[in-house]
Amino acid sequence: MLIYRIELTDFRVYKHAVIEIEPGVTAVVGRNAQGKTSLAEAMSYLATLESFRGVPNDALVRLGADTAYVRANIRHDDGREVLVEAEINRSGRNRVQVNKQRLARIRDLLGVVRTTVFAPSDLQLVYEGPTQRRQLLDDALVALSTNNDALRLEVDRIVRQRNVLLKQSAGRMNAEISNTLDVWDEKFVEVGTRLGEARARLVAQVTPYVCEAYEVLAGEPTRVDLIYEPEWRTVGLGAALVAARNDDIRRGITTVGPHRDDLVLGINGMPARSHASQGECRTLTLAIRLGIHRLITHHVGAAPLLVLDDVLSELDPSRSTALLRHLPAGQVIITTASALPEAAHPDAMITIEDGEVVASVKIAK
Amino acid sequence: MASPYTPPIQALIDEFGKLPGIGPRSAQRIAMHIVKMPREDINRLAHALTDAKDRVRYCDMCFNLSESEKCSICSDDRRDSSILCAVEDSRDVVAIERTGEFRGRYHVLQGVLDPLQGIGPEQLKIKEMFRRLAPEGITEVIVCTNPNTEGEVTALYIARLLEPLGVKATRIASGLPVGGDLEYADEITLGRALGNRRTIEI
Repeated sequence: MLIYRIELTDFRVYKHAVIEIEPGVTAVVGRNAQGKTSLAEAMSYLATLESFRGVPNDALVRLGADTAYVRANIRHDDGREVLVEAEINRSGRNRVQVNKQRLARIRDLLGVVRTTVFAPSDLQLVYEGPTQRRQLLDDALVALSTNNDALRLEVDRIVRQRNVLLKQSAGRMNAEISNTLDVWDEKFVEVGTRLGEARARLVAQVTPYVCEAYEVLAGEPTRVDLIYEPEWRTVGLGAALVAARNDDIRRGITTVGPHRDDLVLGINGMPARSHASQGECRTLTLAIRLGIHRLITHHVGAAPLLVLDDVLSELDPSRSTALLRHLPAGQVIITTASALPEAAHPDAMITIEDGEVVASVKIAK
Repeated sequence: MASPYTPPIQALIDEFGKLPGIGPRSAQRIAMHIVKMPREDINRLAHALTDAKDRVRYCDMCFNLSESEKCSICSDDRRDSSILCAVEDSRDVVAIERTGEFRGRYHVLQGVLDPLQGIGPEQLKIKEMFRRLAPEGITEVIVCTNPNTEGEVTALYIARLLEPLGVKATRIASGLPVGGDLEYADEITLGRALGNRRTIEI
């Protein structure tokens, strides 16, 4: 898959810009706050319909404008051309057109564009709470199969409904509430178990890819563990919900289930969060992104667009060289505020200044 | 900011804007149209509104909209009283009636379980439905709630209560639209249609 042209209107710092992108590796250079990350964000928005920085949609609209537009021309490996047009409204619903056909639900866009973004903020995957790690897994599941989007939305919805029900019970149990809770639980077990299975399968599949990527980056074999072993999966969600019911009622929230899962990251047999250095954690998060990227490439049969947003400066020279030497096949965008390392052999270079493309050159090899 | 409309028109727009499916633009268009309508048409419309409100009520049996205590379906004794179709809304009765495939009776639940909207079993006409089972000799309840999370949960709830009573609970099937194309079906519908496949009877 190739995004060969992207047009941004009132998107973050961009008033209006048309950016042509080459296949292969493109370096996007510019000083800070000129629009490099905005470009990365526009591309990832088309894949996930969300900001990869986790900001609300209205933060994607340029200050002073009401609506942002992202228009992207995509060519798939089989030659199929797709024009995606996304309209992001500060208030009200967003709209998406694919080849000039308006999508009934904007979530139908998922699966049309796939991107992998690695950004400095990815370090949060190690240090912050489990929410981001769950999202990492679920985003990968959606990229692998769009059916998983409905699955995760349904789990969210059931948990929200169940929590309201628990709050309504006000800590007291009667037959009426118990019966209603039973049916929500039955549905929750069905859907939640499927999500748990999908996550477990994903973790098993992606781990070898992550280990391989880590070894390439670090230059030496390192034990990397991705551990997804929620307790409810050993006893079954149904039994876990029964065991937790009194607690759930007392606290007015659903205390067990896939919405509280965590993915434990380990290096050299120790939890990364507490035992790994910041450099190791950075390498780990990059290896995870690259591992997922390779799994998706393998599974879908086409490489997603890989965006490395301002990460070279964060890695030590040997690791950034290793990364650049082993970039996966497919289209890659590297943004940087500093000089490109020698190992980078981009096919094209785009210079961005104040939300405008000031130079775009193809580099002959 | 002062309203750009004269107050009676603004009031009209506000009222239409409260109706389902009518946005501000449509409300404005209808209001503008109404003031241009001939007097007798207006009278007819006003009468139709109040008349509908005065004369339509819920059927005591099935809670469908009705002109009398018992709606036309509940009072039709050619209907099969052993089979009951539970639906969310009166509109669903109309939809199923149009198929001409169902000869049993209905029960309008007036919603589905939806804690986020504050709707539990008490707010629905579930108890009323169970009161009908024995007197009417109902042996099967087809739960025809929508195939979404809330609809499925409501179906489960009803099925669980029916089970000890020995009344058969069935769920309307979901699958592909007739005359449609496989390639245009969304993955979830198609996946479910595959899961619920049946043997071809020869």
